[in-house]
Amino acid sequence: MEKKKTFGRRDLILLLVVLAIGLAGILFLYTRPAAADGEVEVSVDGEVVMTLPLSEDTEVTISGFDGGENLLVISDGKAEIESASCPDGVCVRHYAISRDGESIICLPNRVVVTIRGGEKGEVDAIA
Amino acid sequence: MRLNGRWKRTLAAVLFGGMLVLTSGGCSQPPQRFTTSFLDVFDTASAIVGYAPDQQTFDLQADQCHQTLERYNQLYDIYNSYDGLANLKTINDNAGVAPVEVSEEIIDLLQFGKEMYELSDGLVNICFGSVLEIWHDYREDGLSHPEKAELPPMELLEEAAEHTDIDALIIDEEASTVYLSDPEMRLDVGAIAKGYAVQRMTESAVENGMENAAFSIGGNVSTVGWKEGKEGNPWIIGIENPDLTAGDYLLTVGISDLSVVTSGNYQRYYTVDGNRYHHIIDPNTLMPADYMQAVSVLTDDSGLGDGLSTMLFLMPVDEGRELVESLDGVEALWVEMDGTVVTSSGFDEYIND
Repeated sequence: MEKKKTFGRRDLILLLVVLAIGLAGILFLYTRPAAADGEVEVSVDGEVVMTLPLSEDTEVTISGFDGGENLLVISDGKAEIESASCPDGVCVRHYAISRDGESIICLPNRVVVTIRGGEKGEVDAIA
Repeated sequence: MRLNGRWKRTLAAVLFGGMLVLTSGGCSQPPQRFTTSFLDVFDTASAIVGYAPDQQTFDLQADQCHQTLERYNQLYDIYNSYDGLANLKTINDNAGVAPVEVSEEIIDLLQFGKEMYELSDGLVNICFGSVLEIWHDYREDGLSHPEKAELPPMELLEEAAEHTDIDALIIDEEASTVYLSDPEMRLDVGAIAKGYAVQRMTESAVENGMENAAFSIGGNVSTVGWKEGKEGNPWIIGIENPDLTAGDYLLTVGISDLSVVTSGNYQRYYTVDGNRYHHIIDPNTLMPADYMQAVSVLTDDSGLGDGLSTMLFLMPVDEGRELVESLDGVEALWVEMDGTVVTSSGFDEYIND
């Protein structure tokens, strides 16, 4: 009785093809850009209301809680609050943000502007 | 192409093994970083950063933290009442009327408040509410109507300061009751409650399996474990520049299982005739303290850190430095009025270059 082939030439080719596809996949995962350009995420009272590219200069009025308004300005890859209706103005005095995870918060209007992706911020929390 | 049996088996084994290594390399990824934030506790912005195997695990843990903070926020609230809950407002409302039965979390906080009073020689006084209430009202009015903003009259503050004797705070641990024997006295735990709650929450987060996380509750930072879950890789905490327009942090520190708390004159204030009046009131002058712009305290207990940062803000830098050097496991950084940075002897070890 003829011995049954367990591993022939075709098997080898198949195996190599599978491996090649696997390798290509792994290379893709490891070499693709870590994150695309940063985005500016705006939330009001915990709900995300808009997401804007950090790379596009723009001005937009955020309708905050209880009729409050904050003017968000994105320019030169940075986001800041230029003016706001809130009484304390903490958000307006805050510097322009651009790094992943940085945020500007307006408590009275319950507005949070956060950078997502883009240049990595090293700092985990602020005291 | 011809291969003999042994060759084939070896080749197959090598290829298969190689695939295993490659694919397992893809699966056993380090824990991922997740973040969440909320605005509904302690009248400030909160953020949690944590490393977890997946989003679901993190969400569950972060949610437990949020709920814990919500509970403390309600218990320690002096402005609002909540259905079926005896909180600090209930105690204040019953000043001179009757003892109020309260939960353990309130008794513990008030006992801690008495300790802070002793340690600070009366500078940090949770029974200072009658004076702070006046400043609070004038500040709120001043923020709502900047053109009409004014300072509270000194006679009014002095009258209120007559009702700040901590001995009139009567805690009965056996009966779990608290009573203010002076009807004009009011509790205000603003100097310690947030830090105390953050510390309790951090401890329960660890019990709930959170191994590597950083919590930031409005300038009150607490950390457990390591960044990326990598032992020896500290969390990086930015110390805010009192000049918020400066565009960057004053400096950053690297810490693990420690807390950093900052008290400063730059976050909560109002303006009268072009001058800023912030919210940390010196019990000796009944006016905002003006020894420094800010002070940050590094310690392993966020409650102590909170109390100490207020305490240090209320005394000259030299005196504060002496106090810090006398305490074990406490370091501090001061920003003087002219922007000069002063640190305690062991603080610089934590500075992240």
